[in-house]
Amino acid sequence: MKRALYAGLVFGLVPLQTTMLTYVGVGGIRPDLCLVATCLVGFLAGEVEGMMLGLALGFVQDLFSAGELWLNLVTKAMIGLFAGVAARHLASATPMAMLGTILAISALSGIIFLGTVRGAGGLAEMGVALVSVVFPQAVFDAVVGAGAYWLIAGRTRLHPTTQVGTVPFAG
Amino acid sequence: MVMLRSTFGPRRVLLLLLALLFFVVFLLPRQARALLQTVGQPVAWVVSFPLKGFAAIDRSVMAVWERYLALRGVEEENRRLRREIQYLKGQNDQLQALAADTRRLAALMEFKERTPVQTLAARVVGRDSTNWYRAMVLDKGELDGVRAEMGVVTPAGVVGRVVKATRSTSVVLLVSDPNNAVTGLIQRTREEGIVEGTAEGRARLKYIPLLSTVRAGDTVITSGLTGGFPKGIMIGVVNRIEKEEGALFQSAEIVPDVDLSRVEEALIITSSNPVSQSDPGGAAAPVEPSRREGR
Repeated sequence: MKRALYAGLVFGLVPLQTTMLTYVGVGGIRPDLCLVATCLVGFLAGEVEGMMLGLALGFVQDLFSAGELWLNLVTKAMIGLFAGVAARHLASATPMAMLGTILAISALSGIIFLGTVRGAGGLAEMGVALVSVVFPQAVFDAVVGAGAYWLIAGRTRLHPTTQVGTVPFAG
Repeated sequence: MVMLRSTFGPRRVLLLLLALLFFVVFLLPRQARALLQTVGQPVAWVVSFPLKGFAAIDRSVMAVWERYLALRGVEEENRRLRREIQYLKGQNDQLQALAADTRRLAALMEFKERTPVQTLAARVVGRDSTNWYRAMVLDKGELDGVRAEMGVVTPAGVVGRVVKATRSTSVVLLVSDPNNAVTGLIQRTREEGIVEGTAEGRARLKYIPLLSTVRAGDTVITSGLTGGFPKGIMIGVVNRIEKEEGALFQSAEIVPDVDLSRVEEALIITSSNPVSQSDPGGAAAPVEPSRREGR
């Protein structure tokens, strides 16, 4: 069951991101569903599964983006890892905690992208991108991620991994 | 309860793999890119099916939207269009006379200069999967002969260039993306420069000589010096000139002629080699500015 879910995410999320999500965007900014999914899986299933899903999603995302082929591969894997580690150190897992975690992770990831993609554009251009892309996307990702977590955790009784070796998100 | 932790547990092995991945990506970038490209081909082929499925659903939803829900503003639009028809009728008479002259000249110029290029029609099936690039995904890939660095145009002008091609899809970096660069030529003054995208979604012609007489309204076309685009394809119209104190060059903001947010089909320039007009496989070459202006 879990493998099917992960396969569905890997092969279905990027097509959804590149087609239908255009209409959800605000000011041309769309939520990064791959980042949200990676965070959620890292949060709920631990850093190993978060990292693996991040690797796969990042790889497919890179195939359908104009950027370098390793950029999302590496950042999404790191995001899955960080989300899993963050979940183990949270005192209480609530949608608000999820909101804060994804906000921080998305903003950090955006700043890494900014340095890589727009590094040669100068400070002024980076400032524009920070305000017009990084922060709006971080807020968008956080809201979508917290909403998804509220739905998942509320209906399935899934909660973040709190101890090494436990796998509550077993299918 | 005591928890047993293996020294070589899956978590540590995976972390080791991640470290190895970093090593390969950053120290052997060319080999890593080649490996990822090879591994990515079958993956992209599989993903292209749901991608095209979503695109088909997307088109169906849009068709329903435009046909039924968007009818609310039709009455006002109808009045506006009637006014426009009256205005255009007047213009049409003037243009008829000009067109006769232009047709003769165009035929002459076409005989001498116009070199058709081989193109491949492709449909836009998606946009960039991140918010970081102005790019779009086309439904033609390596199996159709598409390769990286090929130019993409519409009859209105330059759209961008292919930066990635998988078996059945390709990613096109738009001319308005800051990472894109195309050599451009000011049609009136014949001065060359580099057209780059801007953060605001427009384009900028850079490295124009300070003594240039470029002005707002000038047309910028491809110069044909770099691969991908033949000479003379419309890029855009100069909107504003920018001169900085002490700078060696001036630059000009360009409004791309193609509405890049609404492109649904495009032509990929697969070869700059001439193709005969009777060739059934070769699509029509994009219309050059001189012909467009003469219409």
